[in-house]
Amino acid sequence: MHGGEEQPLLLGARGAVSRAAFHVRVASLRAQLDRHPARRWALVCEDAVWFGAGLLALAGGGRSVVLPQAPQAGALRDTGVDAVLTDKPDAFPGMQTLTAVESAAAGRDSVSQDDATAVDFFTSGSSGVPKRVPKAYAQLRLEVEALDRQWGALLGDAVVLGTVPHHHLYGLLFRVLWPLTLGRPIHAPMCLQPAELKAAAGGKRCVIVSSPAFLSRLHAYEELPTAGQTTAVFSSGAPLADQAARDLREKWGRSAVEVYGSTETGGIAWRAWDGAADRAWWRPIAGVDAEIREDESGPRLWARSGCTYGQDWMPSGDLARFGGDGRFALQGRADDVLKFEDKRVSLSEMRTHLLGHPWVAEARLLLLPGRRQQLAAVVVLKPEGRRVLESQGKLALQEQLKAALKQRYEALLVPRKWRFPEALPDNAMGKTEQARLLALFEVQP
Amino acid sequence: MNALIDELKRLIIDSLDLEDVKPEDIDPKAPLFGAGLGLDSIDALELGVAIQKKYHVKLDANSADTKQHFQSVENLAKFITSQQPA
Repeated sequence: MHGGEEQPLLLGARGAVSRAAFHVRVASLRAQLDRHPARRWALVCEDAVWFGAGLLALAGGGRSVVLPQAPQAGALRDTGVDAVLTDKPDAFPGMQTLTAVESAAAGRDSVSQDDATAVDFFTSGSSGVPKRVPKAYAQLRLEVEALDRQWGALLGDAVVLGTVPHHHLYGLLFRVLWPLTLGRPIHAPMCLQPAELKAAAGGKRCVIVSSPAFLSRLHAYEELPTAGQTTAVFSSGAPLADQAARDLREKWGRSAVEVYGSTETGGIAWRAWDGAADRAWWRPIAGVDAEIREDESGPRLWARSGCTYGQDWMPSGDLARFGGDGRFALQGRADDVLKFEDKRVSLSEMRTHLLGHPWVAEARLLLLPGRRQQLAAVVVLKPEGRRVLESQGKLALQEQLKAALKQRYEALLVPRKWRFPEALPDNAMGKTEQARLLALFEVQP
Repeated sequence: MNALIDELKRLIIDSLDLEDVKPEDIDPKAPLFGAGLGLDSIDALELGVAIQKKYHVKLDANSADTKQHFQSVENLAKFITSQQPA
């Protein structure tokens, strides 16, 4: 890593952590990990500084790493972990944990580049159970190098701020691993409101790592850091709507650099609207190959780069078509793995989870259109469930089913609207199932 | 203060489209996020916008303070009252 040893490297929730102090944390964690019998570790840290330290400490020592889909105990099921490295050990009752906290344990103060250490990401898949996406530390390192070749000049000495969590690949790379590797300052706490970004920047140059869920809800642009002090706004997770992109450029003063990619493929392409050109086109990141292969869903986009595992071609979740000179336009999602508020969710996987509940006989999950998208659930209850509905009421029943889902899914992904019909709507008027389900919510398909 | 609390409950229900929730279901002292009403981070953004539009109050740049204000309907009411001209 570059930069002076005492320079503030990370701005944690409780103050600055210098590069030297960060090294001590990594070495201390590694010493404890080397003495621990567990080999397969989940890394779940709420604090981005500890997350970064844990990510570096876990490399080597015959270990393999699991990065679960959500930072909660339910998401670790079926991932085969022996133990969890976490700053919130109480969130993992019954599991072996190592607490990420300051300790006196001293260790080798070297950042080993153990590229072969396996890192398994878990994400939503269309098969109904979480999908394992195997990578090695080598892929993460190559991804960081690719990002730096493409946008390193934008980082400069700016502090990296974020409105996205660090436990998915985008936040992990852009908010933690990329600046950490290049010795750039990081503001660890995730910012939820525009004014928090401004306060975090403290008048200095900054980079904002964000997403459409945040950028499309901006209205008081003066609450953000100024466009002049912001060297870049990155957006990823879903395409940024045209109006939001236009407003950001015209009302705030800078266009977002949108990054298109996925857990499987890493970063594939980017676009940064100049105010004139057609926004539909994405340009592959230097070093990435993209091609289109027809399958039962249509013309699916595939990508290959040094970052894809085994340097193999990997499928994306999107359909696309090529324009000239390697650019492509997206043509919709290929399957039922949706992006909801930029987060990946498999409706069939959530259905499988609901079907495991003792009160649920049948379930359908759907996305309700509207100004604000909502996830909805239609559940046919078993007799015990019906009894709960009758004795406790719809709201109480819903809250208990939601609580069961919250063990596995982030709160944001838990359905907001619920219906409990006696049976799934039948085919009386020849409408599609989707239309019949939507009708339960008084929504016109 | 009571009128404001009732108004805020309705604002929360309407702006966040909370089906099945009636104003009397919301405990003014209960947490809004996580536990209690169980709102999420998108709700925080939407509610922030709705409050700023209706009451013309600026949310504090200090994130710890903002989190305090959003802790309960009662806290929100106190914050809004403190921002209104006397």
